[in-house]
Amino acid sequence: MNPLLRPGALRRCAFAALCGALSAAAPGAFALPMASEGSWMTMGDFNSAGERDLAVNHAVTGRDAFGLMATRWKEPVLHAGLHEQHHEREAAGLTYTRLLHRWNLPHAQANLWFVGSVGRAWGHGWAGDRSYVSPAVMADYETTRLYLGAGFEPKRGSGLRHDSTWVRAGFSFYEVDYEQVQPWFVIESKRVRYANATRDEVTPMLRLIHRGLFVELGRNREGTQFNFMWAY
Amino acid sequence: MQTRRPMSLARHMMGALAAAAVFVLPGAALAAEAAQSLKLQVNGMVCSFCAQGIEKRLKALPAAGPIFIDLRNKVVAVEPLPGQSLDAQKVASEVREAGYEVVATETVAQTVAQIRAETRAARQGR
Repeated sequence: MNPLLRPGALRRCAFAALCGALSAAAPGAFALPMASEGSWMTMGDFNSAGERDLAVNHAVTGRDAFGLMATRWKEPVLHAGLHEQHHEREAAGLTYTRLLHRWNLPHAQANLWFVGSVGRAWGHGWAGDRSYVSPAVMADYETTRLYLGAGFEPKRGSGLRHDSTWVRAGFSFYEVDYEQVQPWFVIESKRVRYANATRDEVTPMLRLIHRGLFVELGRNREGTQFNFMWAY
Repeated sequence: MQTRRPMSLARHMMGALAAAAVFVLPGAALAAEAAQSLKLQVNGMVCSFCAQGIEKRLKALPAAGPIFIDLRNKVVAVEPLPGQSLDAQKVASEVREAGYEVVATETVAQTVAQIRAETRAARQGR
């Protein structure tokens, strides 16, 4: 039987295609995970090892956004104490982003965010789909020259554990006008806990911001990392 | 007749000058009056994403013309379209609705282009 004709596979393909078409993703390590009221935000994290997050959301108020996400990750499989192989996992779902609090300071801004997601996950070694829930919290502090951020994003379901914790710090090389491109150096330290393994990675990145477009390019042990955000 | 022609010419010139004084100069004064902008000091406006949200809301105001955003000094300046006026409270409210704190609002007798040029000149002078 054609694997695409299996009921579960067809549903997964349709769901993934829908999310992909809408540029969907996990709102992982982003600075501002939603745009201003009435605007859309598309976010993506990709690395050359094959992991990727895509997300899109729409801000219905200045503090609330609803969206879609799709993610793919590789879960290390412990074999005789060594990470000799991995299972590929995928998930897609709905997201709700809430700005819990913003501190507007004379020369800085700080935010506390909640990003919740529910959906379905599937992958190697699992018999069928399963539901997941992901209540994430993030915090950031930013000036025109300094950026600090941290977040915790647990993703749980039956037999599923994918808990990401990250901290980020960065500085801009110089201040710019609003119309100019601003370059930043950012370093991220991230720990992902799976059901039977833990993975740590440190990624130094070059970040460029211009108006509503934000791109990051970095490299870690897993490969090259590319992130983007686009507010429109 | 020959002696009256120069007098007539002088009268015409005086009349033209008077007309200019009556009709043109007040027009120039009105133009100068129209060259007023609102300047807002905005706490929390530290990134271009923040500024973009503010800019988008202000551009949606029917009377809003050119806008200048100075991230370094946390200043937003907006100029009304010709012949229109901006409600300072409404502009400040839009910035607050975008998620930022307005700590000061002032009306200045400058265009946004002048504010932009002045800001850049001050920066280069440092």
